[in-house]
Amino acid sequence: MMRLRRRWAYRVLIPLALLAIGCVSLFFALPSLLIAPASVAKSDVILHGAISKHSAADKYVIDLYRRGVARKIVCVDSQISWDLYPSDYVRESLISQGVPAEDVISLRLPISPCAGAVLPRIVEFVKANGWKSALYVTHPEDSRYSDSLARRFFEREGVAFAVSYSPEDSEELTRDWRRTHWKTQRMVGEAMIIALDRFYSECR
Amino acid sequence: MIGSVCLLAVYFLTPVLLNKVAEGLIREDSLVKADAIVALAGDNRCNREKRAAELWRQGWGDYVVVSGMSYAWGFHTGEAARRYVMSLGVPGEKIFMINETLNTRAEARALDDLMRERGWNSAIVVTSAFHSRRATYTIERAALGRSFYSSPVPVGSPEWTPRAWWSRREDVYVTVREFTSWANTLIGGWQ
Repeated sequence: MMRLRRRWAYRVLIPLALLAIGCVSLFFALPSLLIAPASVAKSDVILHGAISKHSAADKYVIDLYRRGVARKIVCVDSQISWDLYPSDYVRESLISQGVPAEDVISLRLPISPCAGAVLPRIVEFVKANGWKSALYVTHPEDSRYSDSLARRFFEREGVAFAVSYSPEDSEELTRDWRRTHWKTQRMVGEAMIIALDRFYSECR
Repeated sequence: MIGSVCLLAVYFLTPVLLNKVAEGLIREDSLVKADAIVALAGDNRCNREKRAAELWRQGWGDYVVVSGMSYAWGFHTGEAARRYVMSLGVPGEKIFMINETLNTRAEARALDDLMRERGWNSAIVVTSAFHSRRATYTIERAALGRSFYSSPVPVGSPEWTPRAWWSRREDVYVTVREFTSWANTLIGGWQ
């Protein structure tokens, strides 16, 4: 009887221990799982989606523009407070740093539950402007997921697509990320988004 | 036979249990007149600010407090919230703002400082329903000796809804994230 009980205890404890080890390993591996190598491909337009309090991607986007990677920049974001679209301000900031006003556009997106729900709108905008290729500048932790999810939406419509991010952002995000609230929050949040999106057709 | 009964029980009881668990995130107190009505940051639709303005117009508080952060591009989410609350009929001199509130604990500390400075002893906390229990818990611990009453934004689309939350992508994300945040708050983890 004792032996039987022990055997059942092992049957329960071993999978639980393995699950715990798996979760901890997954947590530590998040940076390498989420961050893809940045790719800079010459494109018709740069889609600037790395707009947040902790991002220095503006400098990177300006650098790409000056290097002739693309002729136009579209700042993409949705409302974060009442009638407040950060992309409008990012556009102004890029202009004040020397990018010609006619080359920067602010694209206001609706609030949506997931990226997959607004991607068709971005693709439509790119196509409406006659652009055939797009370089999406995003947050480092979103790079691998965007590279698979957004690529599908763009390539389905015949638009070549590449994903990049600011090296400075990547360095900052991965530095001591397990001890910093916003960094851990962003890594874990992205992992949750990727896992959840698979279950909802509107997000895939 | 017993196995089938167990399976059926799990099938029918799981949704009930999941609903109950999500409802546990909500704290709604009876309304009491307070010194201030605080709309916590983090609602891009500004339903928290709308609810705070509504409570102010009904006379539940003397002042409205909005919350937000400044960004390098020269805008402040708290300023946008203030403008919105003013557009709903609350005079500018009745609105206060707490700044650089990156998370609920930072917000609770900033609110405690403001209440001490203004000599306020009570406040109505307005936030999204899923956040209401944790927010009020965090604020009560940061501002000991003061009274707080939770009056969250009503549930219902597009706001988070506890009923069958697992069937909606955004509600699943919010619910799971909220439980993770609860764990972090209780173990005193990331600040």
